[in-house]
Amino acid sequence: MTKGISRFNLSRRGILQAGAATLALPAILRSTAAQAAPVTKVLDFETSADIAKAEAEGEVLFYTHDSDPAGAALMEAFTKDFPKIKGSYLRAQTGALFSKLLAERSAGRYVCDVVQFSDIATALDLQKRGGYELYDSPEKVKYDARFLSTPPGYFFQAGVTFCGIAYNTDRVSEAEAPKTWKDLLDPKWRNAMSCKQATSGTQFVQWYELKRLYGDEFWKEFAKQRPRGFDSRAQLFDRLAKGDDKICAMAEWAGYELVRARGAKVKFVAPPDGLPATVTAAGIVSKPAHPEAAKLFIDWLMTRGQVIYQENKFFLYPSLSKNPPPMPGGMKLSDFKVLYPQDVAAFAASHATFVKEWNGMMGL
Amino acid sequence: MPVPAVKARPPMQLVIGGGVALVAAIFVLYPIFYLLQAAFAVGDPNVRPPEAYGLDNFARLPDYWEIMLNTLSVAFAATLMALVFGFLTAWILTRTNVPFRKTLEQMMAVPYYVTPLLGALAWSLLGAPESGFINQVWRAMGGTGALIDVTGAVGIAWVMALFEGSVAFVMISAVMRSMDPSLEEASQVIGAGRFRTMMKVTLPLVAPGVLGAAIYVFAEMLGSFTAALVLGTPSRFYVITTAIYQLVSQYPPRMPLAAAMGVSLFAVMFIMLFLYRRVVAGRSYVTVGGKAFRPRAMDVGAFRWVLFGICFLYVFLSVILPFATLIYASVQRLAVAFPAADNFTLEHYRTAFSLNAIRSAMGNSLVLGFFTATLGVAVTGLIAWLIQRSRLPGRGVLEYIVMFPQAVPRLVFAFGMMWAWLVFPIPIYGTIWLLLIAYVTVFLPLGVRTITGVLVQLDKSLEECGEMCGASWGYRLRTITMPLLRPGLLAAWLLIFIASVRELGASILLMGPNSKVITPAIVEAFFSSSSELTAAMALIQTVVIGLAILVLVPLIKRASQHGSSSA
Repeated sequence: MTKGISRFNLSRRGILQAGAATLALPAILRSTAAQAAPVTKVLDFETSADIAKAEAEGEVLFYTHDSDPAGAALMEAFTKDFPKIKGSYLRAQTGALFSKLLAERSAGRYVCDVVQFSDIATALDLQKRGGYELYDSPEKVKYDARFLSTPPGYFFQAGVTFCGIAYNTDRVSEAEAPKTWKDLLDPKWRNAMSCKQATSGTQFVQWYELKRLYGDEFWKEFAKQRPRGFDSRAQLFDRLAKGDDKICAMAEWAGYELVRARGAKVKFVAPPDGLPATVTAAGIVSKPAHPEAAKLFIDWLMTRGQVIYQENKFFLYPSLSKNPPPMPGGMKLSDFKVLYPQDVAAFAASHATFVKEWNGMMGL
Repeated sequence: MPVPAVKARPPMQLVIGGGVALVAAIFVLYPIFYLLQAAFAVGDPNVRPPEAYGLDNFARLPDYWEIMLNTLSVAFAATLMALVFGFLTAWILTRTNVPFRKTLEQMMAVPYYVTPLLGALAWSLLGAPESGFINQVWRAMGGTGALIDVTGAVGIAWVMALFEGSVAFVMISAVMRSMDPSLEEASQVIGAGRFRTMMKVTLPLVAPGVLGAAIYVFAEMLGSFTAALVLGTPSRFYVITTAIYQLVSQYPPRMPLAAAMGVSLFAVMFIMLFLYRRVVAGRSYVTVGGKAFRPRAMDVGAFRWVLFGICFLYVFLSVILPFATLIYASVQRLAVAFPAADNFTLEHYRTAFSLNAIRSAMGNSLVLGFFTATLGVAVTGLIAWLIQRSRLPGRGVLEYIVMFPQAVPRLVFAFGMMWAWLVFPIPIYGTIWLLLIAYVTVFLPLGVRTITGVLVQLDKSLEECGEMCGASWGYRLRTITMPLLRPGLLAAWLLIFIASVRELGASILLMGPNSKVITPAIVEAFFSSSSELTAAMALIQTVVIGLAILVLVPLIKRASQHGSSSA
């Protein structure tokens, strides 16, 4: 057998390359087909979707980790732009959403068109399972390559959320407030701090980045502070604003903006070492029920949808597109030193360790 | 000498009764199969059907012993409190001449109308150690620290007993209403005091109803989620449902472990049901015989004001105080005990009414509630009759089967239903029909337990008389059993309607884009917005449910009276 192969001068590397090329062929063909589709300008963005077909399909179903009011606001805005396409959504937390999507597909029910997860690790897992449809959006040029999937076309990073420290100004003076991440380890904050549960993508990235900066010891010391874990930023800031917690150790800027607008006595601290940031990932699922409407929706989400993500109070995600307008409050994402995991594969691979460690820390 | 209940099984009874029993069994066992499949699955938790089977998930359960212990202790404490409240208030309001009885009775049922989140949220606003209104007032009066702290085990049990336990009052009072007062009067005539009569006559006679309520309430407490979520999380106190919620919400979701946790609760429930059957078996609880009676209230003299005080205290703690708190919080930007004038706002109500999705969700919830209750009463009434009165083979097993949905937390059972109905050849997945099936399935135990409690009080000889006179099974059911069961059937209808409108665990996973319901949206507001918006939404839901009940109950009453008189 080996002899036979050597007769054609095939090296092992050559076989592997040929195998990889064969595996990639359907994707390449699909990609070529997608690129071949004519680009249309609609409203103020470009799309490769066939708009007439998309309107004939009449519907697009978006699965999202975001809240109900958020999902409703987004889809209402899409339907306002395209009145012949009914924008629907279903929401669940990322883990439950992932389970639901996979269960539907294993039962042969393809109802979802576009899915958005709250962290990149879930999106990479779905990509590995062949769960995305490749769509080479003409709007990808508005994004830096690092905010697109590899290869581009499976998903894009639809928004970002970053975190610092926040404190209640009634219960903590500015002088004693923590200024750096390491200040959180001061014993005076024991039983007085909040953070998120392992369900949170932002919590995952904070764990990863601070571990990278300060080593394993940081989280071991943090665990001794007996932090309280919650599921959402709204809960964290609600408690902080009312003084139930003195410090929020994972204070998302978006949550801070929300309570600040309600007159809460809280203050945001941006530690000089940087602010861990997590991204949401949105892409068309394979075998979408409404393929053309799904493409149109993704292009819309990459452009006009970004305005809603950045300005609607149920999102407040700074946009990762090139040169976005300032966020509500006048700040720009570039005003902050934001920490993204550089090695996405290593970051995703560390997720199981994070969940185990974090659950233990939260008393689960 | 009594005639055997059913001498020869008429075909109609077998066909209809057996058919309903079979459908109910399929509704329950079909998802259970998938749940068991998940509990024994090993390998990638997201591959279906599972790659391999084993006991790995059950082997991991001892790691969670503390959570299991938390769950059992909180459920036990809450059930005990709920039964004491429920029995005492049901006795006062159905058997004595307490003043303002009608008003108190209506107020007593209010905690059950509301989503459990409302109670937890209200008590969290009242009794959180730092921000709780009571503690703020306490400190303003010169006190130090916290006067009360509802975060933790005691607070969870308290809120669960006040709100989710209010079902005990509804179930027990339905039984007490069907009781002939001559037995209590006879006890008093021979010299027993009121308390002794209550303990020696009333309590034993309503024992099946109380035990039925105990089993139902205990199971409800085991599956309770929102009180533990709102009040337990701040003190790192987890119960099985909050742990399962975390396990299935995390990525990667640990469904097999959650399923194993849920399935392990079957054992607890079946022991409870076995004990119930042992206690009830072989004893007679008949209080409604052929002799006519009119329920009469016992004259308790001046003591009635003390009894009024007890009921009023319960109503104050479970209705007046929480509602006042939520109304106060819902009109503030950031809820505090002593707000500045510019803190008041109606913004949360404007936001709640502006959400289109929420308006349609409320409509869906009401429609689903009506059909679930109507269908549920018919199905569970028939099942209760089959279990108690027929000689249908396997009727004992049927009683265990219909308790399954109550034995496992709804959040986990919902996964079983999702997997089951996803592969079902008729495409009902994602539609409102699936929610209807799911609701009828998960509320089978509620209907069966409520109706059974009243059914066992009816003397079999009444039906046997009809049979001896040549009446068919269907005719006897319509003209004898159903009219006598009316209090139980109405209570079951109301309970199922309310339970459906406030359902959370199954709805989260099973609703589709066009079949959204209201309670998940309210819980969602708690996670994504603020306590103040959540309070506004929960209050709106309560008012809508209250109005729906005001309109629907007289209609149902009239329909059932018309049905029986025309028969």
